[in-house]
Amino acid sequence: MQRLSLVCVVLVLSVVLFSSCNKGGNQQQTKVIGVALLTRGHIFYRDLEEGLMEEAKKNNYELIITSSEFDLGKQIAQIEDFISRKVDAIIICPVDSKGIGPGVRSANRANIPVFTADIAAQEGEVISHIASDNVAGGRLAGEFLAKALNGKGNIAIINHPAVTSVLDRVQGFRDAIALYPNIKVVADVSGQGVRDRSLQATTDVLQAHPDLAGIFGINDDSALGALDAVQQFKRPGIVIVGYDATPPAVDAIMKETALKADVIQYPVKIGSSTIAMIRDHFAGIPVPPLVPVEVGIVDKAALNTPSSN
Amino acid sequence: MPNHTGSFRSRLSGELGIGVAFILEVLVFSFLSPYFFSADNLLNVTLQASITAIIAVGMTFVILTGGIDLSVGSLVAFAGIVTTSFLKLDAPAEVIFPAALLVGLLVGAGSGALAGVCMTRFNIAPFIVTLALMTIWRGAAFMYTEGRPIWELPEGFSVLGSGRLLGVPNPTIVMIVVFAAAHIVLKYTSFGRHVYAVGGNVEAARVSGINTRRVYISVYAISGVLSALSGILLASRINSGQPNAGLMYELDVIAAVVVGGTSLNGGRGSVLGTFIGAMLIAVLRNGLNLLNVGSYVQQVVVGIVILLAVMLDQWRRK
Repeated sequence: MQRLSLVCVVLVLSVVLFSSCNKGGNQQQTKVIGVALLTRGHIFYRDLEEGLMEEAKKNNYELIITSSEFDLGKQIAQIEDFISRKVDAIIICPVDSKGIGPGVRSANRANIPVFTADIAAQEGEVISHIASDNVAGGRLAGEFLAKALNGKGNIAIINHPAVTSVLDRVQGFRDAIALYPNIKVVADVSGQGVRDRSLQATTDVLQAHPDLAGIFGINDDSALGALDAVQQFKRPGIVIVGYDATPPAVDAIMKETALKADVIQYPVKIGSSTIAMIRDHFAGIPVPPLVPVEVGIVDKAALNTPSSN
Repeated sequence: MPNHTGSFRSRLSGELGIGVAFILEVLVFSFLSPYFFSADNLLNVTLQASITAIIAVGMTFVILTGGIDLSVGSLVAFAGIVTTSFLKLDAPAEVIFPAALLVGLLVGAGSGALAGVCMTRFNIAPFIVTLALMTIWRGAAFMYTEGRPIWELPEGFSVLGSGRLLGVPNPTIVMIVVFAAAHIVLKYTSFGRHVYAVGGNVEAARVSGINTRRVYISVYAISGVLSALSGILLASRINSGQPNAGLMYELDVIAAVVVGGTSLNGGRGSVLGTFIGAMLIAVLRNGLNLLNVGSYVQQVVVGIVILLAVMLDQWRRK
């Protein structure tokens, strides 16, 4: 009984202490922004985080960065924590575009502005969504592959059809390929966006299609897994196009492997644009609901010429 | 207590049941896809199965004692990261290669032994201990690499997982050796008998003088070492250390063991069953990929097959 009351006292004290701390920090000049990332396990998200941090530093914002590692329940809990900490804005990279709805709505009810980066939310009110133009990126990949194959041949997609941004890429890719009647998508398999599973999936595709001419990997882990398979089964002449232009993929392109080109996103720019939109919003400047961040495609020649960016 | 010939017969027919299912599956895919039944593709299937199958051997030991090891997938990633980062050290190849392999394997053994000690000393359930280790190793892999892969590895490392000996992929050979060794250990050594005894009835085993604590620690250490071995082979195949490698492997591995007829209650099962179970699932995935069945459908089909295999096993035992 005595112990129980002691525990109660400690609990009450700590709650009082913590809440007074929070008020002291928040009410003053520094704006606090809560960030709920999808993961910290991909280079892409590390770069996005870097962009957020750089731009936040410039504006003297404080970031509270959390990552849910693909766990929707955890992500919603993180958003609720942000709400109870009374942050000034929330950035979400949703685990699930639909499932994040309740989290966005609770923030709406608390009058905290919500911004999404990379992956959109389909429910609740979002001030602005900042993301790569993934349909355009997929289209660039499709056009490159079609030209590299002289407009004919069987091709495969190493897919990860559980993520909206990937669905957009594949949509753009298929749109571009549809203009070439002699190119056929003969396989569309899931490598779950990771290199080990993509290697396995591609191996099966190579077995089923001895005449395979091209592969589109929906991200670099998929493309590099496909490259591992193509190299291990010694299948010359296959052209692979990847997505993201991460350092290992750029290295593979430079070394003249089967990976010939990569769609390049600018995740650092997505991060910094997101903070820039929040800054405008704080200043009362209206921001567009959708901010597409440019994408490009790079092959060896492009990587050799110094870019203007 | 069942007599000796009886238990032998039930074990034989257990593997026979799953074996027949496996052969049926191979026949079906041979009819459906012209590419399935070729030496090239069958070797490909063994190569694909090897990574999870090697882990499944360790898991069989663990499940035979009535335990579970959820940390295997994360250990695949962490051991791969440790070995690949060692390979990047500036030292002569003949020193750094064996050292990197050894350190990777030691990480696995250490993790497994730690799990065993937590269970026996502090009386924590295997599910909880290995769940904790699962998130610890995954987190450690991400922390150490900051979420980026370890790449630009020295020439020659990829031979380990991508090379072939007389046309047979190296991981397939490693898998066969591991299975053969495990089969001999379980069948013909006193340690093997102790594993079955502990899983059958731990109190009886203790009373009959078996050091049960040592048995528990050993099986988790074996599981850890084999997970690390798989992690190193996988890192070699994908020529990089990936913090997101081996995601959800624990489920693939447990499925292989259970489909192979090993009881989750412990005390009953064999590595031969696990081998067929692993092959059955690998053939299923390969066959569905060859037939270009979509990934959504595949998940459903694999789930149904796991259920059917276990139902068949239960029904046969009645």
